Amino acid sequence: MDSIIKFENVNFRYEDSKDLAVNNVSLEIKRGDFVAVLGHNGSGKSTLAKLTNSILLPQDGQILVNGMDTADESRIYDIRQTVGMVFQNPDNQIVATVVEEDVAFGPENLGVDPREIRERVDAALKAVEMYEYRQHEPHKLSGGQKQRVAIAGVIAMQPECIVLDEATAMLDPRGRKDILKTIRMLNEQLGITVVFITHFMDEAVCANRVIVMDNAEIIMDGTPQEVFSKTGDLRVAGLDVPQVTELSQWIEKEGFGISKNILSTDECVDMILSILEVQKG
Amino acid sequence: MIKDITIGQFFPGKSMVHRLDPRVKLILTMTFIITIFLCKNFFALGIMLFSLILIIISSKISIKLILRGIKPLLFIIVFTAFLNIFFMSTGEVLLEYKFIVVTTGGVFTAIFMAIRIISLIIASSLLTYTTSPTMITDGIERLLSPLKFMKNGVHTVAMMMTIALRFIPTLIEEFDKITNAQKARGANLETGSLVQRAKALIPIFVPLFITSFRRAYELAFAMECRCYQGGEGRTRMKQMKTGLIDIYGLAFMAVILGAVIFLNYSYTHVI
Repeated sequence: MDSIIKFENVNFRYEDSKDLAVNNVSLEIKRGDFVAVLGHNGSGKSTLAKLTNSILLPQDGQILVNGMDTADESRIYDIRQTVGMVFQNPDNQIVATVVEEDVAFGPENLGVDPREIRERVDAALKAVEMYEYRQHEPHKLSGGQKQRVAIAGVIAMQPECIVLDEATAMLDPRGRKDILKTIRMLNEQLGITVVFITHFMDEAVCANRVIVMDNAEIIMDGTPQEVFSKTGDLRVAGLDVPQVTELSQWIEKEGFGISKNILSTDECVDMILSILEVQKG
Repeated sequence: MIKDITIGQFFPGKSMVHRLDPRVKLILTMTFIITIFLCKNFFALGIMLFSLILIIISSKISIKLILRGIKPLLFIIVFTAFLNIFFMSTGEVLLEYKFIVVTTGGVFTAIFMAIRIISLIIASSLLTYTTSPTMITDGIERLLSPLKFMKNGVHTVAMMMTIALRFIPTLIEEFDKITNAQKARGANLETGSLVQRAKALIPIFVPLFITSFRRAYELAFAMECRCYQGGEGRTRMKQMKTGLIDIYGLAFMAVILGAVIFLNYSYTHVI
């Protein structure tokens, strides 16, 4: 069983809407993977997230989490413990008035032994580098810090997969950077599968796999290299490629040979430097 | 102005008062408040005031903070005291001007009432200053747990209180934001008659209500995602254990109660 989440021909329509929000989506997410889901507003990416832990149930098709059907009501809490979810607005997902008590909320609901809760809470807060703030009041923290507390609250439930539903959308650039660093660490060191839903292209670059959604369907699926090389297709979906990728494609159009797709600033700098060297020599 | 309200806030610490079991602290606070009402003379009230000062010192909460908590209620205190001065007519007459008569009895009652109200406020705010809201609501939940037949109801109410307290600062922030946004659009909130000013608040409260509903909806989602399923089968990270310190607290309270009852009977005619 190496896929943790499996969508099979899933259709979903909101009650008050005529159009499908998710249209015939089949998708498999591998254990330990870091997947970015891209799409403009209303493309169905948030609905996709809510389908993964049976907050929403599909009208057609089946979704399996670790082999458990999300429509099976007896497994609903097992599924939610397996797939943790972080939402967009940090204020609306913090329940308690003290950071550590909020992080403890999940394990408390699961009926974990008090001593173990304490250990889990401390470990989770250390993992997101918020341990010094454990006694603080959440409303006095910055957006990025609040969001890290929310992530800690999910980690304390020891999930195998974390779905972040536009978790960086309301943060300033620094908060976004911190969140990205945190989830990368969770993915690499704790082996937690990450599904990262966003509309910031630059954030999708650090994923292993990028899925692009448009009009309730998956229109692209591949490595960041593959997806971002198709600038035209992305434009059609109402998305931009990362700035450095766009720059490198312009340079290529001008007749300079570029060996591969440029995704990060460092790569771009190296590429420009090497071109300049060639020009000089 | 709204930000001045300190009642309900929690200031973490490790003092004796902080370490008391929340259940014991709740009982002690209630007993303390009842005892304040039992006081019939200045000697008894003096004991209460003295023990209150002892509690403040041992809680290591700054006096400044406690005074700040009284400030928003100062008007009510002064007003009550004022009424007492003019409407009590026992004792010697100190001042007489047309229909206004000030007597020693009136002045004493006024001072007595003021001290009583201030001690009430301090005692109850000390509870929230030294106990996290979650612990208070947990404490209430556990104290009421003998009401087993409605236990889930008790848990639900406790959970609601926790969330309400959690969202007070968030809503205050939101209120300020909306007020500023409406002012930037030319809303006039400061001038005009009372009715006009009340009407001017409508464009602030409508968006506040709408966002609150959305918040509630999202919060419910988030709680579901974190496997919230009511009070059944729930454990707590912070266990409540009564220790030596709680026995000290109860003994201290018993002594105060005894002293107040004794003084009430010893000096029946002081006030």
